Amino acid sequence: MTDGYERKWENRRVAGRSAGDEARDSYYGTPVIHKPHWKWLIIFYFYLGGISGASYFVAAIAEHFGGPHGKPIARAGHYLSLAALIPSPFLLILDLGRPERFLNMLRVVKLASPMSVGTWGLTFFGGFCTLSAMIQAAQDGLFGKATLLARLLLGLPSRTISAVGSLFGFFVAGYTGVLLAATAVPLWTKAYRLMGPLFLASALSTATAALALILSLGRSSHESIKRLERLERVAMLSELGLLLALRSTLGRTLAKPMEEGHLGAVYRGGVLGMGLIAPLILHARSVLLRQPLSRGVASLASLLVLGGGFCFRYVIVLAGRDSADDPQATFEITRSEDTQR
Amino acid sequence: MSATILTEESLVGTTGARPGAMGFLTDTTLCIGCKACEVACKQWNQLPMDNFGLTGFSYDNTGDLGASTWRHVAFVEQISDETGQRPTSLRAFQSNWLMMSDICKHCVQAGCLQACPTGAIIRTEYDTVVIQQEICNGCGYCVPACPFGVPELSISDHKVHKCTLCYDRLQDGLEPACAKSCPTDSIQFGPVDALMARARARVSTLQTRGVEGAYIYGDQAVGGTGGIEGLNAFFILTAPPEVYNLPSQPVLPQTKVLPGFTALAGAALAFGVAAILALREE
Ligand code: SF4
Ligand code: SF4
Ligand code: SF4
Repeated sequence: MTDGYERKWENRRVAGRSAGDEARDSYYGTPVIHKPHWKWLIIFYFYLGGISGASYFVAAIAEHFGGPHGKPIARAGHYLSLAALIPSPFLLILDLGRPERFLNMLRVVKLASPMSVGTWGLTFFGGFCTLSAMIQAAQDGLFGKATLLARLLLGLPSRTISAVGSLFGFFVAGYTGVLLAATAVPLWTKAYRLMGPLFLASALSTATAALALILSLGRSSHESIKRLERLERVAMLSELGLLLALRSTLGRTLAKPMEEGHLGAVYRGGVLGMGLIAPLILHARSVLLRQPLSRGVASLASLLVLGGGFCFRYVIVLAGRDSADDPQATFEITRSEDTQR
Repeated sequence: MSATILTEESLVGTTGARPGAMGFLTDTTLCIGCKACEVACKQWNQLPMDNFGLTGFSYDNTGDLGASTWRHVAFVEQISDETGQRPTSLRAFQSNWLMMSDICKHCVQAGCLQACPTGAIIRTEYDTVVIQQEICNGCGYCVPACPFGVPELSISDHKVHKCTLCYDRLQDGLEPACAKSCPTDSIQFGPVDALMARARARVSTLQTRGVEGAYIYGDQAVGGTGGIEGLNAFFILTAPPEVYNLPSQPVLPQTKVLPGFTALAGAALAFGVAAILALREE
C-alpha cells in the first residue's frame, strides 16, 4: 500500500525557469498526463516474472529437445521458475491501492486490457509452473518412492503439461512490455512494437544467466552449460539490438529520461555496460579463443547479466514515469501524424 | 508555440457519440474564471480539499485535474506571445487571459475504461464513463491509460476518482452541479448531438466576430482522434490545445494492444526457435 502519491504541481518547478517561462510552451510545465504510481514492487515483479516465465520455457524446450544434456537444464528451470514466481502475486497485490480487493481482478476478462489478460495468463501460468515443479520434484524423489502424491504426479503427462505451459511462459515473460506500451506514457507507447520483444529478450537473458549460474554451482556437465551459454548470447545480442532500436525510435525528447542524470548513468553503466557489453566481451573472448569460460568467469558473466536485467526494469519503469511528467514529450507524440499509424 | 492542428474538413464537428449520449459543451470564450464549477463539484460530491497553498500560476490553485478536483479551471496569462514578446493588442474575448474549465472528457472510446482490469469503470446509460467505487481496487492502470491525465489515485482512500458526470443527479433528472452553477453558461449540459450543432454555430459566429482561431476541441478532427472517436465533454477553444495543456491528436492507448502482442508473438517464435537450436541434442 502506498501512502502518498505525489501531487503533480508540488515538486515540479524546474530550477531557473519562472512561471512565465513555463507558460510559454506548456501550461506552466504541468504534466499533460498522469504517471502511474508503480515503483519498486512492480520493478521487482517485472524482474522475477520475466525470469520465471523464461526459465519455464527454456526448461520445457530442454526437456523436449535436449536429450540427456537437457535434463539438468529442465530440472533447474522448473525449480527456478517456481521459486521466482512465488513472490510475484504478493508483489502485485501489495502494489494495489486496496490489496484486500485483489480478487476483483478475476471478475472480468478484457482482451483490450493487457493487465486483465496478464492477470489471467499469470494465474494459468502459476498452475502449470507449480505442477511442473512438483512433477520434477517427484521425479527427483523428493516425495519418496511409493507415496500416493509421488505416484499421482509421476502418472501425469509431464511433457504435454510443459509444452502447453511454455506458451504461458512466453506470455508471462513478455506481456509486461505490452502492458506498459498500452498507456499514454510517451516513452513506453512510442515504441509499442519493441516493448514486448524487449522484455522477452531481457527475461531470456536473465533466465539463462541464472540457470547457467545454478548449473555451474552444481555438478552439471559442461555440455549443458555450454548450450545455455549459446542461448544466453543470442538473448543478449537481441536485447542490445532492440535497445538500440528503441533509442532510435524514441528520438531525443522522448529518450531524455533514459539518458540524463541518475537514470542515464544506470542505463549506460548498468543496463548497457554491466548487463550486456561486459558479459558479451567475456563470451566473445571464449568463442574466439575456442576455450570454454572458466567457472569463475562464467559465474561473473552470469551475475553481470542478472544485475543488468534488473537495471533495465528499473530504468524503463522510472524513465517512463519521468517522461509522463514531461509535457513536451506528450506533445511530441500527440502533435504529429505518425502516432495515428 | 507552433502547434499545427491537423484537421480533415470531413471530421470537423463530428463525433462517434452513441444515440442518447449526454455531455458537456464547455465554451471557453464565455468563461470568467469564477471557479463556481470547481466549488459546486466539490460540494455536491463532498470532495476533500486540495493542497492548502498557492501554486504561483496565475489564479490557478488546484493545478490539475485529480482525485479530488474533477473540474479544474485553467488560467493562461499570455504574458508573452508565441515569439516571446509582450502582446501589443488585446484579442477579442478573454483578452490574452484565457480561462478554461477542464473536466473528464467522457470519451466515446475511453482509454481508462478499456484498461481497467476489474471492470470497475463502466459506461452508463447516458454514455458517460463512471468508476464504481465499490469495485475499484486501486491497481492504478487507468491513471496512465487516460490520454488526458484525468483519473488519479486518492491519497485518502487509495482508489481512483474522477468526474462521474453527476451520475446521481442525472438519474434524478437534475443538471450536473458544475453546469448548474456556471453563471455565464460557459458550461452547457445536454444531448451531445444538440450540443455539437450548437458548438458549430457558435464557432462560426465567433469567427465572423473576429476570433479566427476558434474551433471545437473534441470532435474527430481535434482531441477525439486516434481511435477515441470524439469526446462527450468537448470544448470551444481559441488557442492551440497545448496552451490549455491538452493534446491535439491524442491516441487511444489500446490501439497498441494488438500490434504489441503480435510483435511479442513474433519475438516468442524467434526466441523459441533459437532456444531449440541452442539446446537441442545434436
Ligand atoms: S478523459 Fe480520461 S478518464 Fe475521462 S473518459 Fe476519457 S480516458 Fe477516461
Ligand atoms: S485503479 Fe480502479 S478504476 Fe482504475 S483500472 Fe484499477 S481497478 Fe479500474
Ligand atoms: S459533472 Fe458533476 S462530477 Fe463532473 S465535474 Fe461537474 S459537478 Fe463534478
